[in-house]
This record gives sequence, C-alpha cells and structure tokens, in this order.
Amino acid sequence: MTYIGAEEIVSPLGQSIRENFQSVCENRSGISLVPHAGFNQEAIHLSKITDLSSSNKFETLLIDTLSKVAKRIDPARITSKKTLVIVSSTKGGLDRNIKDPFAPSLTSLVKHFGLANEPLVVSNACISGVLAINAANNFIKAGLYDHVIVLGCDVISDFVLFGFQSLFAVSATPCTPFDLNRSGISLGEGCAAVVVSNTPEIFKNKPLGLYSGTSANDANHISGPSRTGEGLYRSVKRTLELNKMSFGEIDFISAHGTATVFNDEMEAIAFDRLNMADIPINSLKGYFGHTLGAAGVIETAISMQMMRHNMLIKSLGYSETGTSKSLNITTGNKSSELNTILKTASGFGGCNASLVFRKL
Amino acid sequence: MSFITACCHINEESCVLNGDVIAQKNTESGDSWFKQLYKGLTLEYPKFYKMDMLSQAGFIGSELIKKSNPALSTRYQDDEIGLLFANQESSADTDIRFMESYVDKKSPSPSLFVYTLPNIVLGEIAIRNKWFGENMFAVLPKFAPEFFLQYGEIMMVAGAKAVLMGWLGILEGKIEVFVFLVEENSATGMQLNRENLITCAGF
Repeated sequence: MTYIGAEEIVSPLGQSIRENFQSVCENRSGISLVPHAGFNQEAIHLSKITDLSSSNKFETLLIDTLSKVAKRIDPARITSKKTLVIVSSTKGGLDRNIKDPFAPSLTSLVKHFGLANEPLVVSNACISGVLAINAANNFIKAGLYDHVIVLGCDVISDFVLFGFQSLFAVSATPCTPFDLNRSGISLGEGCAAVVVSNTPEIFKNKPLGLYSGTSANDANHISGPSRTGEGLYRSVKRTLELNKMSFGEIDFISAHGTATVFNDEMEAIAFDRLNMADIPINSLKGYFGHTLGAAGVIETAISMQMMRHNMLIKSLGYSETGTSKSLNITTGNKSSELNTILKTASGFGGCNASLVFRKL
Repeated sequence: MSFITACCHINEESCVLNGDVIAQKNTESGDSWFKQLYKGLTLEYPKFYKMDMLSQAGFIGSELIKKSNPALSTRYQDDEIGLLFANQESSADTDIRFMESYVDKKSPSPSLFVYTLPNIVLGEIAIRNKWFGENMFAVLPKFAPEFFLQYGEIMMVAGAKAVLMGWLGILEGKIEVFVFLVEENSATGMQLNRENLITCAGF
C-alpha cells in the first residue's frame, strides 16, 4: 500500500477540490450549450472552462493545478529528486504544436517549479488517468521515487470535438450515462491532481491508502468496446486478486460511464460477470463531461472526497435502466460508510484499467 | 533476471532483425515501405491496410519479433505478455492528417480520427495476438533506456513473464522504430541492463 491524497481539481465546476466537490454535492453540472462550437457551427453541449484564455490552456491548467497541490503537501517535496510528476493526457497542447504536443508545456512546468525530474507523460486514451495513478503506486513500491504527483489534463479542441462528431458519438443533450436514452458523450476539459507517496507525513490532510491496480486489453476492437467486457472484467478481477480483496469488500464503484450506447452496456456486462452489479455505482461524466486523459484523475479525486465525506453522489443524467444487465446506479446523494472504492476506466485501443483505495 | 531475446530496427531504408539486415526499401516499388515489409512477412491480415503508420510500424515490429521467437505465441498465457511502448511525437503523424481532413477537405475523417491516439498500436498488437495483458504508452522527450528498464521491471514484478517493448518514432516520413522483447529466465539473449539496452537500441 502507498498513500494517496492532496487531490485537487480545476474544472468548470470550480477552481479547487472544495468548490468542485461542493458543486457535485449540489448535483450541478459543468455542461452547458456552447454556441457555434460544432463542425457545422452548431451549438454543442460541452463542459468548458469559460474564463480560461485560449492560448496554452494545457500549460496554464498544469501550472495552476500543481500550484494548488503545493499548498496541500510539504512544498519542499515538489522539487525533490525523489519526486516524479506524471502527466496523463490524450492530446496535451495539440493546439499549440501538433507535432510536439507535450514537450513545450512540460518544459515550462519544469522551469516554473524547478522540478528535479523530467515529467513522464502517460498517453493511453481514456484510461490514462487511472493508469498514471497505478504507475505512481508502482514507481513508489519499486523504490524508484518517494513521491509521485499525478496531473491529469485535457482541453477541448476543434480537433477532438470534430473527431467525436465524425464518429456520431456526441450527445445532442447533456450526456446521460447508463440511462435508457443515452446517446453519446459530452466533451469536457479540466485538470486534476493526486499525490501518491510512501509516507503519510507530507500531506496536510490525512491521506487514504492506495492499492495496486492493473490494466488489461480487450484484444477485440480498436474503437469499439468488447461485447463481453473482457478487458474490464480481467482488470478488475486481477486488481482484487492482487490485493487479496473480495468483491464484497467494495463499497462503491466509480465507473467510466461515458454515455455511449456500447461503452455503458459493456461496463454493465463486465460488472455483472464480476458479481458486482449490486454495489453502488456512478458515473461522474454528467458533471464534468468526458475529460479523456484527465477523467481518471478527476473521478478518483471526487471519489476520494466521497470517501472522506462518507457520501454517495448521484449519477447525474440517469433515470431509467438502459443496459441489458442492471446496475445499482446511485439515483440521489446518500450518506454511506465508504471504506473501499474501486475506480475503473476503459478506452479506445481496447484498454481498461482499475484501481482500489481505502480509508486508513 | 530479464533478458532481451529479440530486437528489430526499422528506419527509412532498411529493416534489421537481431542485427541482420532482412529487407531494404525498394524505391522503385509502388508499395509503401511498410507495405513492402508486410508483403515480405507473407501474412493474411487485411486489417494491416487500414492501420496508420504508427500501428503498421508496431505491427511489423511485433510480427518480426514473433518470427525470430516463434515460441512467444505459445510459451505464455494470454495475459502474461505486457506491452510497453513510447515515442516523442505521440500520434502526430496521423493527427496532422486528421487535421487536414477537417481544415482542408472540410470533412473530418472518422477512420483517421480513431488512430489519433498513440496507444491504438497496442490495441492492434493485442487484437492480432489475442493478448489481454498490461498496456502502457508513454510520450518521452527522447529515447530513455531508464523508462524501459524501470517500467519493464515493474510489469514483470506485477506478473508479466514477457514484455514487448518499443520506441516508435513516426513523423512525416521519419522512421525510427526499435521493437524488442524482454523475457524473464531466458536461456538466451542479452541481460537487460542500461548498457545492453543502449547498445541494442543504437541511438
């Protein structure tokens, strides 16, 4: 086990973890109708940060979020030789330099904070965030670093929006994960951070315990989820086995739940196969939209807050069962003792990942 | 202890397997260089033609490694082979083409868009071989032996018996491909360490 804490989020729902969790508790969504955003100049539902200048959004968000993290841990650790920064992102600063989407922003980040080590970029589609947190845990357990700061960030661009439009994957309404009438994603943007460490002492607030996580490929299709949920099933099964946990010990699942017809169906099948269909579950995409490489970190950060507050958060947008296997979707906020949480993610390229954290 | 048991290099002109030049680009051929290499493999895998260059590079590299180590397909369980790949440019080669599809051609291409993530190549290799193991794609400022040594070891400790690793530098005609196989407790191959990896990579 390692320690995880100092969660932070910058998103349309707030400038800090406190503001973001407050918004989520009030069941407010960051998604709104943005005029002329689409390929044909049509209005599109997006979770977009409106007061962010359009140049270097990626870099601005990384620096802003890491500054907030620095206030929540011993700040000397940021520049330590034993600290690594992992950035999880699908497209980075693509708008700034399509041929080199990461290096310019990371060079600025290193300079701004005086980081001792070159940051590592994990770019593994929509599992990037969960994979990066798992990597953080692995690097620490291997003794290679004492602390790893994971920054998950992706910004909305014409590139990504037009791409999802070309796949007919963008919902005409704010996305409705797991719902009968779901019809695609709402894109979002934001940046989130968690700090993983071998010691609880660096955290200003009490950390939680992070356990080993795993990934698994569906080996089925590059842009369509497996019909049997094979990769997700295998990843969750291996994560639980690795930590000698049983599915009955999981108090809550923070699902991926993109609100595409096939993704949510795949997840329902996988959790049903895992005998986990009765465990309370939600998708946070109705609040933040799909933030791609940031999603795993944003959703882990909110789930950590749920654990700290012993509060189940409503799965926004869900009203009626829309998958062949029914799940225990959280339909309203509810107090609940949350000791162990499973976070999962799935993405293009057939990738799936899962992680587990616990109250200390 | 882990060993490098096979390695493959592809640049703009030649393809080298375990140090032997096995193919050189025929500049008079109407086929692309990767298509020439694919034909040389004599495979029936039409999906190859749909792939972008990044995926084709990883696919050819992995097939050549299998040719050199045929037991790779039978020696391990379907989740015991990890995939650990990296490059500097992410999927920029295809990103540029996708951007052209909506800026110049005014029609965003879905078939290009699905390749605008660097980890798609891992999916292609997983699909081809029915490998369900761990995947990671990282973007690094340059080839970093430490990354492969450290994270390869982490994957092995977590349960992988073999890790197929690769550096896939593909951008606007530049080709800098190095795919290699790391296995534990092998009777053959070079011990996996920094010095051997740098020698093997050649850059």
